[in-house]
Amino acid sequence: MITLKTFDKAVYDTIVRATTTIAPDIDKAFRDALDKEHEGLGKVALETTYENVQFGVDNKLLVCSDTGWPLFFIKLGEDAKLEGGLSGLEDRCRKMVAKATEDAYLRATVKHPITGYDTGNNVGANVPAFTYHIVPGSSIEVIYVSKGGGSECFGGTRYQVLGFADGVEGIEKFVIESYISGCRAGKICSPSLIGVGVGGTADISAKLAKEASSLRTIGSRHPEPEIAALEERLEKAINMLGIGCFGLGGSQSVFCVNVEYAFSHIGGIAVSVGASCCITRRATTVINDDNTTEIKLVPDWFEGR
Amino acid sequence: MATYHLQVPLKDEEIRKLRIGDIVFFTGEAFTTRSKFQRYIFDQGHEFPFSLKGRNLLIHCGPVVIKEGGKWKAVSFGPTTSIRFEKWGPKSIKNWNLKCIIGKATMGESTQQAMKEYGCIHVSMIGVTSNLGLSQIEIKDVFLKDEMGSIEAPWLVQCTDYGPFLVDIDTNGDNYYDTMDEIFKQNKKKAFEYLNIPEDFDYTKLY
Repeated sequence: MITLKTFDKAVYDTIVRATTTIAPDIDKAFRDALDKEHEGLGKVALETTYENVQFGVDNKLLVCSDTGWPLFFIKLGEDAKLEGGLSGLEDRCRKMVAKATEDAYLRATVKHPITGYDTGNNVGANVPAFTYHIVPGSSIEVIYVSKGGGSECFGGTRYQVLGFADGVEGIEKFVIESYISGCRAGKICSPSLIGVGVGGTADISAKLAKEASSLRTIGSRHPEPEIAALEERLEKAINMLGIGCFGLGGSQSVFCVNVEYAFSHIGGIAVSVGASCCITRRATTVINDDNTTEIKLVPDWFEGR
Repeated sequence: MATYHLQVPLKDEEIRKLRIGDIVFFTGEAFTTRSKFQRYIFDQGHEFPFSLKGRNLLIHCGPVVIKEGGKWKAVSFGPTTSIRFEKWGPKSIKNWNLKCIIGKATMGESTQQAMKEYGCIHVSMIGVTSNLGLSQIEIKDVFLKDEMGSIEAPWLVQCTDYGPFLVDIDTNGDNYYDTMDEIFKQNKKKAFEYLNIPEDFDYTKLY
């Protein structure tokens, strides 16, 4: 059985790791982009941002000020046992979010949307949010995503229903135009990790877009060749736009475009575009039944899709 | 494109000679704001909580601040997206006698007009600088912390060669990012060509 002591520590450490370090695939994407970007303010912005990240990692400071929405993605082993029962899992996570906020590893960023009431600890109605996959085994895998507000609030997230008549061109046009308007003046901190959710209901497509942007490893490709080809084409096309880091111009406009899909109603195709910041913050820990824990460097959320 | 090291209080004649694309650094006092404080002052009509004399540099920022040995210390200090405060742009410039707003992601038409009228500029950080800026700013004071919360309260800070920042709106009312928009518009044609999207392609009007 996983004790609360083990669980709490693992969750807390995962949150802190997400906001004060950078995952290896994102680190590599920065370094690759720096190699390919040769001049101009976009290059300066990329260098500065990477330096800011490294300063944060070296000094255990936030790699970006805006720690955003606290999001948990949990792969729950079907035989997992948590001290006090699995129904207490979310409450423990909420407590760790509050503790991490108190310790300044999260900025107290979320509050009541109407009254402005601020708990000061990032815990409130429906936040933090939880998404589950039930998997074989007795471990609990906790993925924590610190979802930045820039990419979420300023045009990094778009939704539209297209006709089947619009086809792949329609999807591609929507992605390109969404990204251009979202990136104006560095609103969404490009080069982004773009997620595209195609098909399903509005919420399914938005969820797929969010997970594709925040949880897919950079450089991974969708296993279906048609979808992988769409990802490659979109990446190439977006990098032709010259948006660069923070909309300041350059060849490195996007770190990746990840497409996930759900079967669509014959009436129309829901398409969502989601963006995650160049400093995408995510961390993963596997908590085993014998109370050992393992850090996973990249999540494999879409494994077995 | 030139680089300037400016002293606060910012002088009208110095600000008016800056042009979009210039790079600036600031030394002297500045204060922070986000939405809640501007709503409190401009929409709810409360009195401004401290003297604005000699303080004409505003930073759009919600810092992370801790208390260490009885003293406030910023552990993350990054300018934030200014466009969301567009509603209060002209009022903040006029009522607070601002000469410069530091932020990110520029501001809109009404603020550009006000900047032209009152001689104010907007500057943006070049990349994320929330940690790199820590050695350039020192927290001096905070006001209305209980009412506003730590992130949205106005913090008074001392800047030491704080920068670099890019001038993106100048006192002519020109915007640096309008020039970028033109480039993206041209490149969009190339991207659409690559994707074989016809120029006259339009979505089926489903709603």
